[in-house]
Parts: sequence; C-alpha cells; structure tokens
Amino acid sequence: MTTTRRDALKTVLGSVAISTVGFEGASAQAGGKFVYANNSPYDNLDPHTIFDTARAATRFNLYDGLYRWVDNPPKMIPWLAESHTVSEDGKVYTFKLRQNAKFHDGKPLTSADVIYSIERIIALKKGAASLYLDAIKPGSTTAPDAHTVVFNLTQPSAIFLTTVPDILIVNSAMVKANEKDGDWAETWLARNEAGSGSYALRRHDPAVGWTARRFPEHFAGWTGQPFDDLEFRTVLETNTRVLGLIRGDFQGADGYLPYDQIQRLRQSSNVQIIEAESLRVFILALNNSKPLMNDVHFRKALAYAFDYDGFIANIMKGSVSRNPGPNPNPIWGTPAGLKGYSYDLDKAREELKKVTQPLRPITINALAGFSESEQAATLFQNTLRQIGVEVIVDVSPWSVVSGRMRSAQTQADIIPLWKSTYYVDPNNWVGELYGTRYHGTRTFSYYSNPEFDKRLDRALVTGNQEERQKLYEEMTQMVNDDAAGIFVYNTKWYGPYSSKVEGIRFSPVSNGQDIRWASQKR
Amino acid sequence: MDLVKRFARDKAALLGATLLGLLIIAAIFAPWLAPYPNDVFDFHIERRLLAPAPEALMGTDRMGSDIFSRLLFGARITLMLAGIAVGSALLIGVPIGLIAGYYQSWFSDALMRVAEIFLAVPQIVLAIAIAQTLGPSIQNVILALSLTYWPFWARLVYAETRSMRNEVFVESAVALGASPWRVIVLHILPNIASPIIVRTSIGMGATILTAATLGFLGLGAPPPTPEWGRMIAESREYLPEAWWYALAPGIAIFLTVLGFNLFGDGLRDILDPRTRRSV
Amino acid sequence: MNWLSMVANRLIWFVPTLLGLLAIVFTLSRVVPIDPAFLAAGENASVEQVQKVRERFGFDKPLPVQFLNYVRDVAQGNFGVSMFTQQPIVNDLATRLPATLELTLVAVLIAALIGIPLGVLCGLHRNSWLDHVLRVVTVSGLAVASFWFAMQLQFLFSMKLGWLPLSGRMEGFPPEPVTGLMVVDALIAGDGEALASALRHMILPAVTLALPAAATVVRFTRNGVIGVINSPSVAYQTAMGFPRRVIIWKYVLRMALTATVTQLGLIFGILLAGAVVVETVFDWPGLGAYAVRSILQSDYNAVMGFTLCTGALFVFINLLVDMLQAAIDPRGAA
Repeated sequence: MTTTRRDALKTVLGSVAISTVGFEGASAQAGGKFVYANNSPYDNLDPHTIFDTARAATRFNLYDGLYRWVDNPPKMIPWLAESHTVSEDGKVYTFKLRQNAKFHDGKPLTSADVIYSIERIIALKKGAASLYLDAIKPGSTTAPDAHTVVFNLTQPSAIFLTTVPDILIVNSAMVKANEKDGDWAETWLARNEAGSGSYALRRHDPAVGWTARRFPEHFAGWTGQPFDDLEFRTVLETNTRVLGLIRGDFQGADGYLPYDQIQRLRQSSNVQIIEAESLRVFILALNNSKPLMNDVHFRKALAYAFDYDGFIANIMKGSVSRNPGPNPNPIWGTPAGLKGYSYDLDKAREELKKVTQPLRPITINALAGFSESEQAATLFQNTLRQIGVEVIVDVSPWSVVSGRMRSAQTQADIIPLWKSTYYVDPNNWVGELYGTRYHGTRTFSYYSNPEFDKRLDRALVTGNQEERQKLYEEMTQMVNDDAAGIFVYNTKWYGPYSSKVEGIRFSPVSNGQDIRWASQKR
Repeated sequence: MDLVKRFARDKAALLGATLLGLLIIAAIFAPWLAPYPNDVFDFHIERRLLAPAPEALMGTDRMGSDIFSRLLFGARITLMLAGIAVGSALLIGVPIGLIAGYYQSWFSDALMRVAEIFLAVPQIVLAIAIAQTLGPSIQNVILALSLTYWPFWARLVYAETRSMRNEVFVESAVALGASPWRVIVLHILPNIASPIIVRTSIGMGATILTAATLGFLGLGAPPPTPEWGRMIAESREYLPEAWWYALAPGIAIFLTVLGFNLFGDGLRDILDPRTRRSV
Repeated sequence: MNWLSMVANRLIWFVPTLLGLLAIVFTLSRVVPIDPAFLAAGENASVEQVQKVRERFGFDKPLPVQFLNYVRDVAQGNFGVSMFTQQPIVNDLATRLPATLELTLVAVLIAALIGIPLGVLCGLHRNSWLDHVLRVVTVSGLAVASFWFAMQLQFLFSMKLGWLPLSGRMEGFPPEPVTGLMVVDALIAGDGEALASALRHMILPAVTLALPAAATVVRFTRNGVIGVINSPSVAYQTAMGFPRRVIIWKYVLRMALTATVTQLGLIFGILLAGAVVVETVFDWPGLGAYAVRSILQSDYNAVMGFTLCTGALFVFINLLVDMLQAAIDPRGAA
C-alpha cells in the first residue's frame, strides 16, 4: 500500500508546525483558580455522547483528540497525533501518535485507546457519531503498532480530517473496567472522567458543576502562568453570571450573552470583553417537506417577510452582521456577492399570489430560554400577519425541539435557531442543512434536490479544494434560489473575562473555553 | 337585603368586591380602555424597553409593545381561564361528591379514592405535567387546571353531603319516599351551596395563581398572548434595568387574587356561619 | 381501637393510592409528543435502531403490559434511568432531596416562629389595629405570586443593594456531603466560610417559601385562640377564680400545638408546591427544580420518580399528622 500526503488536505493543516507553541515542556509558574460561569448544567460529562457548544468545556479541558482546533479563523494543530498520511484512493488514514502522552492515571496513551474510543462513539450513536457512522464501520479501525492507528473509510471523505478533533480519546482500560451489561460504561462516564486532557477532574456535581486540577504531565507541556485549578460552575441565571463577573468572582463566562449585558459588563474595570467573529449562523429553519412549505413561492414570501434589519438593529442592538446565506460569512463556500433576501412585504405578497395550495396556519417552534429565538418568532408572526399568513408560536426546550426534528412529519414549519461549528467546513452548514443524506439526523430542513445531492456527493469525496469550493458555492446558490431557509445573522462572540486573565484563545469550536492557554497577569 | 348590608359593612370584603369590579371592567372594556389596543399583536421594536412615561404609562416590553395595554387584555385571559377552569372543576367535582356522599357503597368509596390520588401530590405538579404533555395553549391550561382541581370539590362536597345525609330533614324526605335525585337536588344541594360558593371565590384566586405559574414556566398560552405569568417570565432577563417590566403584571396578579380572597372571606362571614372568621 | 383502625385503614390505602398516581403519570408519559424510544436511542440512531430500543425497553408492548413492567421495576427499587443525566433516577432524587428538605425545614421554622406568636397576639387582641393590619398582611401573603415575589426580592436585595446572592445554594463546591444539609455539613467540617455562604444563599428562597405558610399559620392560630377564649372551659375556670392570664396561656399553648400539628399537612402541601416554583427561580438544586426541568425536557422516568417520591412523602406526612392529631385529641379520630 502506498501512502502519500495529499496536497489538497495539506492546506487544512497548513500552519501546523508553527502553531505548536510551548510544547517544549517549560517550567510553568502556576497557581490560582479559574472559575467559569456556564449557562447550562453539566449533567453529563461523557465526551462521546455530549456534543453541544454549551458544554464544550468538558471535551476541551478533560480530554484530548488526535488533532485540535484553535484560534480564529480556526486552524487545526497536531495534538495526540503528530501527523497523518492518506492513501492514494483517499480511504485509508494513518495517524502517528506521539510517544509521551499519558492518561491522568499515569497509563500511557496508545493506539488501543484510540480504537476503543472510535468504536465506543459509533456504538453509542450519540454526539459526534453522526460524523462517522457512514464512513467508519465497527471493527474496521486497526492498530499496526502501539503508536499507529489506521482508519479504513468505506469511501473517500473530504471532511473526515476536519472531524478528527472530535474523536476524543478515553482511557480504554479504565472505561472497560466500569462497563455494565455492554453499556460501554455510559452511566459511569457520565459522572467520571477517563482522559488525558490538560486538567484532571476532581469533583463533579450535576447541580453545581465540576472542578479540575492542572495535569502537570500533560504531553503539550506548560508555559506562562497557567491556572492550577479550574472550576466550571453552572449558573443558569444571566444576572448572576454578569454580577459575578463584575464582582470578580468569575474569571470567565459564555460569550453569547444578550448584548445589553455586554454593555453593562463593559463599564466594569474587572472585566474585559474579547470580541471575535464567530461561526454560528442564526437561521429560521424551514421544513421544506410540509404542504405549503414545499411551494417555492410560499418560501420566498416567507423570506421576504422577515424584518432582518429591524431585528439586527433593535433586538440585537446592531451587535451582529447580516449573514445572507447558510454558511457563516468568514468561511468559504458562498458565491461572491450572494444577496439573499431583504424585508419587502410587497414582494412577499406578490410571491404569495403565485401560491396555488390553500393557506393554512404555520407553526413556529421557538427555543425556550433563548429570548432571541422567541423574539424572532413573535416578530415574524407579526409581519406574516400583515401579508395574511396566520402563525402559531410554540415555545419548547431544545430537547423537545430536537426530538421533533427527527422526522419530517413532527418537525414544525419554522424553527428559529443557531447552527454552530462542529467542524470547520461549509459542509457543517449548507451540506448538513440541505443534503438528503442528513434527513432525520443533522438536517433542519428536509430539503430534497437531486441536483444539490449530486454536488454534495461529489464534494464529500473529492480532495480537490478548488472543485469543492465551486460545488459548495453552487449548492449555496441553489438553497438561496429555492429559499430553502431564512438566514439572518452570523453571531459575534463577546467573551467576558476577568481583566486579570490573558492569553484566551478563542476558536468557534471551543468558544474560548479551552483554558490551558490562559494565563494570569502578573 | 340584610346580607348585602352586612357585606357592605365589612370594609375588607368591600375592597375585594371593588377590585373584582375593576378587573371585570378592565376585561370587558379592554379594547376601549387600552391606549394601544393593537399592541397585543403589533410590535414596534424601535421602541422596546422604554421606561414608564406619559405615552406608555407602564413602559414598553421587549417587543416595544405598551405594557398597560397588554395588561388590560391579560385581564380577559385571566378571568376567562380561571372562570372556565373552576367552572369545569365544579361541574365534575360537585356531582361526584354528591353521588359518592349520598350513596354509601364501594362505588362511592372508589370514586373518592380516585379523588384522593389526585390530591396526593400538590396540584401544581400534576398541572405542569399535564400542560407539558398537551402542549402550550390556553385550552390545554384550562384542561390541566380542571383535571387537577375537580378532586378538591369532590372531597369537599362529599364531606358536606355525608354530614347532611344524617340530618333529620333528609332522613324524613327519604322516609316519605322522595327519589334520591329529588333529595340530592332539592334538599342537600341548597344546604351545602354556601361553602361551595365561598370556596369558589377563593378557588378562583388560587387558580389564577396556578395558571400564572404555568405561564411563568412557559407552559401557558403561547406568545404573544398577553398572559400575566408569561409577561413576568419574559421580563426576567431585563432586570434590573427594566424594573417596570415585571412590576405591572405582578401587581395585577396580586390585586386580582387579593380581590377574590377578600370577597370570599366576606362571603364566608355572611353565608357560612360555621366557619365564620369570627370578627 | 379507633386509632388503630384509622391507621390500618390509611396503611391499606397507601399502596393503591401510589399505584393510582403512577398510573396517571404513566399515561401522561406515554402520550408525550416525542417517542421515548427516540430519546433513548440517541440522536443519530436509524429507524431500525430505534425499533430495537423500542423492543428492548418494551415500548412496543401494549400499555397495560408496559405499566405492569414498570410497577414491577419500581417495586424492586428501580425507577429507570434519566434520559439526560444517564443516572438511575433513585440516585438523582437522593442527591437532590436534602436540598429541598433543608429549604423546607428552614421555611417551616420561619413560618412557625413568625406565624404562631403573631397569630396568638391577633387572637388575644381581636379587632385591634394589629389584628386589622395583620389580616391585610396575611391575605396579601396568600395572594402574591411566589415567582414574582422572589424576583422582586432578587431585584432589591441582590441586584440593587448587593447584600445577598441572587441564586444557587453556595458559592462553588460545598464541603464533603455528610448529611446533604449544607448548613449541617459546613458545621461538621468546621468551615465557617461555607456556613456563611450557605446561610446567605438560603435567606431569600426560604423567606419566599415561608410567606404563604406563615400567613396560613397566623390565620389558623388566631382563630384557634379565639375559639379557646370563647370556650366553656375557659369561662368555667375564669368563674372559678383562676387568673385569666394563666388559663389563657395554658389553653393557648395547648391549642397552638394542636393547631400546628393539624395544619402541618396543609402547610407541607403549600411548601412542596411552593418549592417547585421557588427552586426554579433561585436555581436551588432540589427536587422541585429537578421536577420542572424533567417535565420541560420530557424526561418521563424522572417525572414519574419525582411524582411517586412526593406522593409517598405527602401521603406519609398526612398519615403522621392524623396519628398525632388522634393522639392529642382522641375525640377527633372518627
């Protein structure tokens, strides 16, 4: 078998060598405690079943992946794996693991742990599993030696490499010892930790949060003045998070606070706000499969009936920028000059006239606890009434909304929500949102277009970056022409941190919760 | 006439009646009293979160709607919701209590056992569970409230009927060959009407509180319904800056429930001498 | 004999009542908008996998069979696993119960310490200005929406004045749990800072919770005292020349005890219902907040566990109250 590095993929790992800052195991002057106030509870610490942005901290601080996303625009740096090669046919990925990585219990991290981890992910079928279920079959991953892992994909995949950071490695011996009736220790790992990450778990209480201690033997070494103790505390109430930051009780909090709160925080000398253009698009997902919603003219009427500028100017207080397509503005895959739709009720009425099916009340299912989602729903309800479309707003928690999204019949007509970054590729947005292959799993749209799917199939296997760019641009244009979704803005991240902290590295994947890079100001 | 006079002498009861009167006026005439009657559905997002001022007496909310106008329309929803819920609970609970109390058989025991089951957990817990299962809408809130409230009436009426059953006038009516139906409707019901009426007033207050709690938890009527509990829930994230946002709906709930409770207390004093508040 | 048969009767009905409660919640859990098999199978499961899960958990069987299976599991102490925490429901409930107990106990204490003396005073000085003022206060206390009251307390004492914490049970991690009651644990650990933090966090939720209970206690105590003063035995003993003060206190104390015990069931109900809301507003990690979260997320194993647990507690306390009442006042036990 001849294996070579493929040029196209190299670009993704382009800045690898230079990014490995501080790996030379510097003697760090450590101390201090970093308390992060999080807006959702850590009721489950399992790195393989929990895959949401709100709880990214457990994945980034307690566990390591083969590669890791850092910085903005995001780049991938080598982590547990030092390098990889891809076979000529694009199906065989061989990763070389570094020699000096250890788990928190002192056991060396080997290829057996990687194999156990990927098998566990695809067996449990939760969290990141959907990224691998098509590509990796159970039992297909092999280990020629203790520091080499070979992934044998069922077909070439253009996005596999970008999803490698999501393969987080667990201590297979420890997890196996806690399995019960073939449950892959799902119960145990929900409350315990078996990783090699920069911090080792000390205590976990689902009602309070978790604390961890710095792992001095972490393979990446330490520089500067890292924090010795880490606490991720669940603080549901926005006001408590804000007041705690102002008082200096918290060193950090989630970067997606309502903008009014950011303005409040700016007045405090204890707080610094780090701004970054994130990759998190606010969309009104349309269920393209339902009667009436399957009429392109009706969807266009909807797209012309949302007050984009009013929403951004008043409700978001101008803190974000308009994002006319499904892909976030900063990344590639959107045709130059894509205009998208604008608020124009006359055009909306014109489109509505072309609709042949009888009108019916439309349901908007907003996310409970996310006021922007609720406000977008009520605002849309109001403008749609003006063109004679009746709307029922239903507010439910994310678990219920996502449960309903499992089938085209139960998913509401419209859902105002965000599509966050899980891997940095347009496929994370336009691909997953509109590809027929993602129906029932990662789509929000139940859009089906053979022309689109043909391009998607090609884009997922080709290694040619130029071709992929062209394909994703064409797909984005199709989604736009079909008004298959309503795209509002790309989120700006306003990370509130203590002014005594420096070195926060934001990436749209870690959302500034990867604390190993942070340092205390002297 | 004497009753009305006695009621009128009770200042607290009079206050209750006044509050209820105001509430009913607000509910009926909401479209005419509200400065911006369209603000139930119309938003002006450029005017959101404005503090109270002459053009918006109680300030504006997160969608820029006039809180005062929405409050008035909220009175309608509150009254309708509690009225129908308590009414249906009465319609289910009172007959069950009468029948179970009159006929003393295994069947009446079983009926009351079912009621006991509902009473084994606080009403709010079952109401939340039912409302969530059915999905948020005004009808479902009413359903959840009636389904969890009837057992209270069944138990009350059952106990009252049981004690009436042994009264001389009931026994003699039975001895004279009156049909059970006739005895229940003509002899028992009128005699237990007083406690039912008194409890209805207080029960309206309690139901309004429960309904508002459901709204607060997001299980009530969907937005943009101007339901008071929901308005308070929406306001939470804008504290402490938008202090006015939660103030008005909270006071509205308070005055309404206070009105029903004072009114009920007053009624008790004149109608139900056994449980008189002994002033 | 009477007493025994009352207790026996209550005990016999204990299990059927709980079964009935389970049946209601079980029915609710099976008509939820989302298929429980979807939730259990995981986000990315295929149709066939969901079907497998359905078979494994018996979701494909007729509802009565599912119910019997569930009851069988519960009888063995197995309430199932939470869809969201992946933990056995029993563990989840056990870790949250102390938080609710602590809050409720403190609230009862506040309600009794404030309510009984005020009630006695009102009863002794009927129709005085104090009586009138307190009447308004108690009726108001029962008319306030607790979530709104909680928010106003938060607004004033946490946001504006900054005196008390806004929410939660303690800053950061508590001392190692021994009893689960944080105040007690902090005392055991000798951790003054934790004790202070626990107490500071408790004030606002406990006061919110105690308000309607205290109002109820005042009203019942007041009416009880009036009843005592007008009772024939007091009149008789007054006629016999005993100092009125001594008589009143003797009877009043006894009465206060009886009234408190009698109303304990009612007050406990008020507190439990209140805890559901108060814990949610104050992020208090107890059973109430757990129940609301589980209900909103359609985690029905958790909801059923909570309902059963509360129902059992409620029925048990009422039984206890009836027994105590019968012991204090044997005439009442019919």
